[in-house]
Amino acid sequence: MGSLVLKDLAIHYDRQVVVEDFNLAIGEGEMAALLGPSGAGKTTILKAVAGLLAPTRGDILIDGRAVNTLPPEKRDVVMVFQKPLLFPFMNVAQNIAFGLKMRGDGSERRRTAVSRILELTRLEGLGGRKVHALSGGQQQRVALARALVLEPAVLLMDEPLSNLDANLRQEMRELILSIQSELKITTLFVTHDQSEALMMAQRLALLLGGRLRQAGTPQDLFHRPADPEVARFFGGGNFFKGRLQGGVFECALGRLPVSAASGNGHVRTATIRPEDIQLTLDAAGRPGGLAGRVVRTRFEGTATRAWIECDVHEVMVLTAAGELTLGQEVRLHFPPEKIRVFPEDKASE
Amino acid sequence: MKRSGRFSAAATILAAVGLPFATLGLWSLADRWFFPGLLPQSWGLRAWSYILTSAGGQVVNALWQSVAVAAVTAAAAVLVALPAARALGLYEFRGKDPLSVLLTLPIIVPPLSVAMGLHLWFIRMGLAETFIGVVAVHLTFCLPYAVFVLWGVFANYNPDFESQARSLGASRPAVWLRVMLPMIMPGIVVAGLFAFLLSWSQYLSTLIIGGGRLITLPVLLFALMGSGDRPVAAAVSLVFVMPAFVALLFSARHLGGRSLAGVR
Repeated sequence: MGSLVLKDLAIHYDRQVVVEDFNLAIGEGEMAALLGPSGAGKTTILKAVAGLLAPTRGDILIDGRAVNTLPPEKRDVVMVFQKPLLFPFMNVAQNIAFGLKMRGDGSERRRTAVSRILELTRLEGLGGRKVHALSGGQQQRVALARALVLEPAVLLMDEPLSNLDANLRQEMRELILSIQSELKITTLFVTHDQSEALMMAQRLALLLGGRLRQAGTPQDLFHRPADPEVARFFGGGNFFKGRLQGGVFECALGRLPVSAASGNGHVRTATIRPEDIQLTLDAAGRPGGLAGRVVRTRFEGTATRAWIECDVHEVMVLTAAGELTLGQEVRLHFPPEKIRVFPEDKASE
Repeated sequence: MKRSGRFSAAATILAAVGLPFATLGLWSLADRWFFPGLLPQSWGLRAWSYILTSAGGQVVNALWQSVAVAAVTAAAAVLVALPAARALGLYEFRGKDPLSVLLTLPIIVPPLSVAMGLHLWFIRMGLAETFIGVVAVHLTFCLPYAVFVLWGVFANYNPDFESQARSLGASRPAVWLRVMLPMIMPGIVVAGLFAFLLSWSQYLSTLIIGGGRLITLPVLLFALMGSGDRPVAAAVSLVFVMPAFVALLFSARHLGGRSLAGVR
């Protein structure tokens, strides 16, 4: 168990900047996610922490100790790759015991540790299997077990769920979470899937274009995104430029009351998540709100995504309200507390 | 239908492979065999008793010499080819294409000219008529094959396995020994076998560089063939084929292309 701190980390490949000015602190026993689209430099950061590639600048501290110059095998950090990478010439138990053997543990100790971890990862009875004879989900679990058995100070996982189909993914997610809460191993995992990150992590870091855009709790990033790009990454839409004046946001849609108070007079961007907009059918007769017409809909199962034209502006709404027909007149209500006015307008030119 | 098809396939292969050897077997057991006879006119073990008794020492010596040269050549070829093939298979670098052409040169250029050209240099370097000199000249032909075989192996090799092993606590030497080596072992066996067999059948280069002091089995074989004693030459030929055949049998399971892939 240990804390992990990344300080001013920069990683360049052939003079190409992959990661720049990256700072992140993960507490002991915490489960943290590094989130970002593919190509954002997530795996690169993971490899740098694992010691598999050297950062250009910056420090990697584990339990307050800089490990930059230590080779991977001396870092007490284990990385689980995206692919299971099970050694084909060993059976399941031998694969899991590999790290213990490298560490010099005796065969008796190895056997106890392996059987315990087999049980923990629900692989009982598969120790003697050839790795080729395992299903994809089992292979992924063996890869996880092989890392967990070492009880590293920091566990790194690169897209642990991306190779699994939807059902297995959920199962594996629950397994990882339950094991993590039991063993309390400080964990940093990489994912491109925002819902996965929100569900699994206690701490979240969003990486866009090699730079950290925002770090915090999942609630922070979801409800209080630092800028429109962060909001967009978490499925946000509806960005309006306007001026904040005494608790009212004046924009093209009209005068929207907001709860944000500071920043009077400045040009700002505001957003509201599609599911936070309340949609009522005109006939319901709820007063106020914004009148609009349905121009497009997309059924998404539990809800329907609808694009509503208010004057010339389109507003995206996610609603559970019945079936909408094209051209239907509706009213939109914007709860003031749900409107997020970004502190600084990065979107403005 | 299917069964008879398989039978005829097996029979065809056996006939194609076996018939030339059958002739050799007949010759080695012939005492007198003259033209138009389909089979020898008289049989005898003269050839075998000759190479096992009076020429026995010579044959055994040549056999050992051949095994030693081929084994050392194969081992050296694999050892030198490993890092080269790894670099060629895993990395992109400038001059890779010209380099691969250079590697094929010894295969394209006739062995005679290579051996003749090297002979002069080997005399100057004191390598002519030595064991090392013969191994060196065999390497010029064997090394490219070993590199090409292992290049293919490394082209399909995922170096992430090594990163994974390092992350699991294996030092660099441990990764080579316990991860890379077992992963590419089938390739090493095939490359080694190629090099061994190629060296095993070298005649001209051995003769030129060995200068008649290093008598390998092919050199002895040619001498015996030159003497015109066909039954004896046939018997030596069979002795010559045997170790290669054993080596092939020993490594046959690796030739089938047992999966190198692993779970990636």
